Amino acid sequence: MDNQPLTIHSWPRAILHLDADAFFASCEQAVHPELRGKPVITGKERGIVAAASYEAKARGVKRGMSLYEVKKVCPDIVILPSDYETYSLFSLRMFEILRRFSPDVEEYSIDEAFVDLTGLRRSYHGPYGMIAQKMQETVVTELGITVSVGVSLSKVLAKIGSRHNKPRGLTIIPGRDIHIYLKELPIEKVWGIGPNTSAFLRKFGITTALEYARKDEKFIEKYLSKPYREIWHELNGSSVYPVVTETKSSYQSISKTKTFTPPSKDETFVFAQLSKNLENACIKARRHKLAATRLVVCLRKHDYQSDGVDIKLNRPTAYPVDLFGPLREGFNHIYQPDSFYRQTGVVLAGLLPETGIQCFLFDDPVRMEKMSRVYRAVDQLSQNFGKHIIQHAASLPTKLQAQHEGERGDVPQRATDLFKGENKRQRLGLPVLHMKV
Amino acid sequence: MTVNVRSLYNLNMTRDVKEDKLRSRVRDISHFYREKGRMPSFSEIGELAGFQSKNAVFKLVNKLEQRNFIGRDEKGRLIPGSIASSLRTLGTVEAGFPSPAEEELADTLSLDQLLIQNPDATFLLKVSGDSMSEAGILPGDMVLVDKGQPPKSGDIVIAEVDGEWTMKYLKKRGESVTLIPANPKYKPIKPKEELKIAGVVTAVVRKYR
Repeated sequence: MDNQPLTIHSWPRAILHLDADAFFASCEQAVHPELRGKPVITGKERGIVAAASYEAKARGVKRGMSLYEVKKVCPDIVILPSDYETYSLFSLRMFEILRRFSPDVEEYSIDEAFVDLTGLRRSYHGPYGMIAQKMQETVVTELGITVSVGVSLSKVLAKIGSRHNKPRGLTIIPGRDIHIYLKELPIEKVWGIGPNTSAFLRKFGITTALEYARKDEKFIEKYLSKPYREIWHELNGSSVYPVVTETKSSYQSISKTKTFTPPSKDETFVFAQLSKNLENACIKARRHKLAATRLVVCLRKHDYQSDGVDIKLNRPTAYPVDLFGPLREGFNHIYQPDSFYRQTGVVLAGLLPETGIQCFLFDDPVRMEKMSRVYRAVDQLSQNFGKHIIQHAASLPTKLQAQHEGERGDVPQRATDLFKGENKRQRLGLPVLHMKV
Repeated sequence: MTVNVRSLYNLNMTRDVKEDKLRSRVRDISHFYREKGRMPSFSEIGELAGFQSKNAVFKLVNKLEQRNFIGRDEKGRLIPGSIASSLRTLGTVEAGFPSPAEEELADTLSLDQLLIQNPDATFLLKVSGDSMSEAGILPGDMVLVDKGQPPKSGDIVIAEVDGEWTMKYLKKRGESVTLIPANPKYKPIKPKEELKIAGVVTAVVRKYR
């Protein structure tokens, strides 16, 4: 019974999942070739491990470990500050390479993609495995990072495939082989099934993905809600989740939080940090043509205790000038003098498209028009000269001190090793190879 | 097979004339919209175009809708499409007509396109040494390195030799490989083990001001 395949269909759909191996660390090793084969981690500015190279993982380094712990476990570890600019460039390029093979590419996260390969065997005159291998090899050759790939009949199965044999794995799971891969797979390792549902399923004697898939549909319908039914179909080789190519169309909320080192009890400085977050959130809102109807203000103390307040706005807006009033009120409400703060956060919530805003009774349309022109000018200047070329006065005190003093203030090499014509804010959109030639 | 050249000419002429007519009709409706602040009704469109039959108006409206000059709301009433945007003096790009100036520029290459053949595989590298100075690559220059092109003999490559990276000409003769500098101070390198090539140098950029 256990050796019976789950489905008789070989390839009704072919979905590929690509997962970059130790992405941030791999990008660093690609632009710093002297770090290849060495234990490397990123996340220095956070004080914890964001990504660890496979060499570091082999030494017991795990994501989320504090830098102090890492140095104990692996004294020769190389610790780098995050270079999101470079990682983003690698990520975009990775997706573009995938798009050479199929237009249906879903950018699932910065280092993961789903690609719909259905029907491409004809164009490539070969099996899906061959196409997947070509995609994988192209990424390795052109970017210098390795990726693991899984190809199967559904997204859930493709993800199981990509995870199966990391790093640089290539796992093809046709319909007749699904049961082989699910047999030893613990149920909580299935995408979409978390610890609570696993514990629940355990009560029915379901501990592996295969046991779950082999349950009849009536059982699943009786005891589990829609998402788990969908997963059941996907595990059985029946694709429910399509590969979604459109990018995020809108936001429900925009949040900006930033930690600073060392923690401060200077009220002006802390408010300035908050104000800068507000300006950043508003810039993002305006870029997506959204306006907020609620403002959330958060402060976090050095002992990690947080306080927050949710403020309803009387008019949708994405202009800091309108929000400084509520921001100050919210700040005063939660700020405790003589406390050390380490982080401030702002959330613009209840976002509406800016075109849908009508004038309210007490609005001053002349002022609104004026403010709209002011911020349009600000956004235009930012485009030409870099973000924060113009700031509200309340944010200026942030310039008095680096975001992170000391070791955590380390910046990526790309930010300091500039070419002629580049400046602190604006750089060429190509990754730099750090080699001495 | 003889082709009736005159009929071809007439066909092209007719097409241009049709476009001109359409262009002037779009201008008239756009004018109306801006003057009155509303879209003309079907009969008003008829008046503007000089049509007697309603059918002719329908045909025109469909054509305009197809080209996105006008649209329709949920109730089926006409709403402005691209005619609502202001007309530029150079040409009506929003209206779908390429301006003569822009048509000439359609095939230009940007500097980016000229210098970068494979945008997904091209990297920047700042040169620090002078081993290729006689090839015109000086310390401080920026070179563009393409990892997507298979290296050929005669290419300038970034190669790893004995754990060190170097930029040299690649010379392949059968099985033997030599790395050749462009500076008499340096000697050619004959790698003993397999050569690792990081990419091909496709351009050098030096900014003076």
